[in-house]
Amino acid sequence: MIAGLTYFVTEAWASVWRGRSAAILSVLTIAIAAFVLGLFLLVAGHVQRTVDQWSRSAELSVYLRDESTDGERAAVRNVLRATPSVAAVEFVSKTAALARFRKNFPELAPATDSAADNPLPASFEVRLGSDQSAAAVERLSARVSRMAGVADVRYDRRWLDRLVSLGNFVRWTGLLLAGVLVLAAALTVTNVVRLSLYARRDEIEIMELVGAPLSFIRGPFVCEGMIQGGLGAVVALALLRVALTLSAPRLSALAAGLFEVGRIEFLSGLSVAGLIVGGMAVGCLGGLVASRRIH
Amino acid sequence: MRSCAASWNARERRGAILAAGCPTGAGTLSSAARPNTVIEIDGLSKRYAREVFALHDVTMRVGRGEFAFLTGPSGAGKTTLLRILLRQEVPTAGRVLVDGRDLAALGPADVQRYRRTLGFVFQDFKLIPRKTVFENVIFALRILGVPDVQQRRRTFQVLKWVGLQHRANAFPLELSGGEQQRVAIARALVNEPVLVLADEPTGNLDPDLALEIMNLFREMNAGGTTVLVATHDRELIHHVGRRTIALDHGSVTESA
Ligand SMILES: Nc1ncnc2c1ncn2[C@@H]1O[C@H](COP(=O)(O)OP(=O)(O)OP(=O)(O)O)[C@@H](O)[C@H]1O
Ligand SMILES: [Mg+2]
Repeated sequence: MIAGLTYFVTEAWASVWRGRSAAILSVLTIAIAAFVLGLFLLVAGHVQRTVDQWSRSAELSVYLRDESTDGERAAVRNVLRATPSVAAVEFVSKTAALARFRKNFPELAPATDSAADNPLPASFEVRLGSDQSAAAVERLSARVSRMAGVADVRYDRRWLDRLVSLGNFVRWTGLLLAGVLVLAAALTVTNVVRLSLYARRDEIEIMELVGAPLSFIRGPFVCEGMIQGGLGAVVALALLRVALTLSAPRLSALAAGLFEVGRIEFLSGLSVAGLIVGGMAVGCLGGLVASRRIH
Repeated sequence: MRSCAASWNARERRGAILAAGCPTGAGTLSSAARPNTVIEIDGLSKRYAREVFALHDVTMRVGRGEFAFLTGPSGAGKTTLLRILLRQEVPTAGRVLVDGRDLAALGPADVQRYRRTLGFVFQDFKLIPRKTVFENVIFALRILGVPDVQQRRRTFQVLKWVGLQHRANAFPLELSGGEQQRVAIARALVNEPVLVLADEPTGNLDPDLALEIMNLFREMNAGGTTVLVATHDRELIHHVGRRTIALDHGSVTESA
């Protein structure tokens, strides 16, 4: 079993090396696909982290109608307090709101002095716990805004929504693009393996004549595709890493404004492993398709 | 068990006899249950295109331990017959038994198992150019699942027999045509086959070399292996003087 695997790998490696000019082609197409996928994963990952951070630090303001009753206010407060993702609830009366407004915007204070009525509503200011998702906040906000006595619920939602959709857009565009590229890469691997299959057709005939099992004949070719795929992914990751390091100074400045993430980070270990395994899987598939010709 | 020593005296110039034993398939012949006929062909026809028969109603027998030539002009159907025996082609009609096995009844895995009991030699040697002489020969043993040490011992044994043990690490293209064919013969014999099939094994070699190669076939036959050699070289056949099965236009014309 181990001897068989060693045989496949050494045979495959020798074949890749012999056909290296063609193998470079498939390694590169895999690399391009993996690079694009990795890049999009990187960007989407940062957007996602920013979204998470924003929703974590976000506050929810529940504005109450002037005519709301004490009972209604108590009900709203109870709902907020009963929600696990809510860290603290503070009531801000109309008077307190006005006082805060005057303090925050002194230059506008005279205008409010002359007003007969206080235009600012009373509100509950809700600080959210650090572990809740944007979706949970969304649900809470929707629920509270339907309650009696509530005029409006404010939440930095629009921005978050946009960011979330931007993140999704980036992710899906990336996946789509990478999908097309992966297909192209798989086809290239298939054809490159087919080339070495053709180059070794005499050898295959000899193996068939001595009665070698099918797996014994096909194994090296499947393995060859796998090596090409794995190499492609590794090349892509190395390129991505280098590109990131080289552009780090400029990117960090950009990122500071764009993302609320301290600095640009490389892909997680899981994504790195995933890309390599994925590359090998695509290569393996290419090798399998090509070696189906042997029967 | 038959003795190897007697049959190997002819080979003394190479001094290749190993204590390990005779490098032929004689050891596998001890089983009494084996039929006496190794090749049993009845009413065999092969048609590639419509109305063109490469073989037509061929009936023939080759006994165990026999050495037979298959001869006939170009296009007579010699290669076709050998390809059917190697199970590279399937008959259009008729029955082919090899060592008691009905070739028509073999599934894909059976074909592999069946081929492991054969040896083959072709005009174009069919060696893997990127593998050394040693690797080319041991390759046929590796798939048999024989222990490693035994594989190496056996491989050296057959290489010594064909007189090429000193070239074990050379690559086929570094050898002369005659030497390459000797490697191919070593490979054909390494798995102790029941039957060795050869298609124009001397076709690419000059007459002296051809005789030398024929002597190797004679020796392996003397060791007990059944041999069927296709050739149109009448002179060579005459020189070796063995049974001849002649084909013409796909039919047996002589089976003395
Ligand atoms: N793959 C094929 N497709 C169609 N016809 C074939 C094929 N192989 C052989 N034939 C035909 O079958 C007939 C027998 O061919 P075969 O190769 O068996 O002859 P042969 O006796 O080996 O000849 P040679 O001495 O030239 O090698 C010929 O007429 C040949 O044209
Ligand atoms: Mg022929």
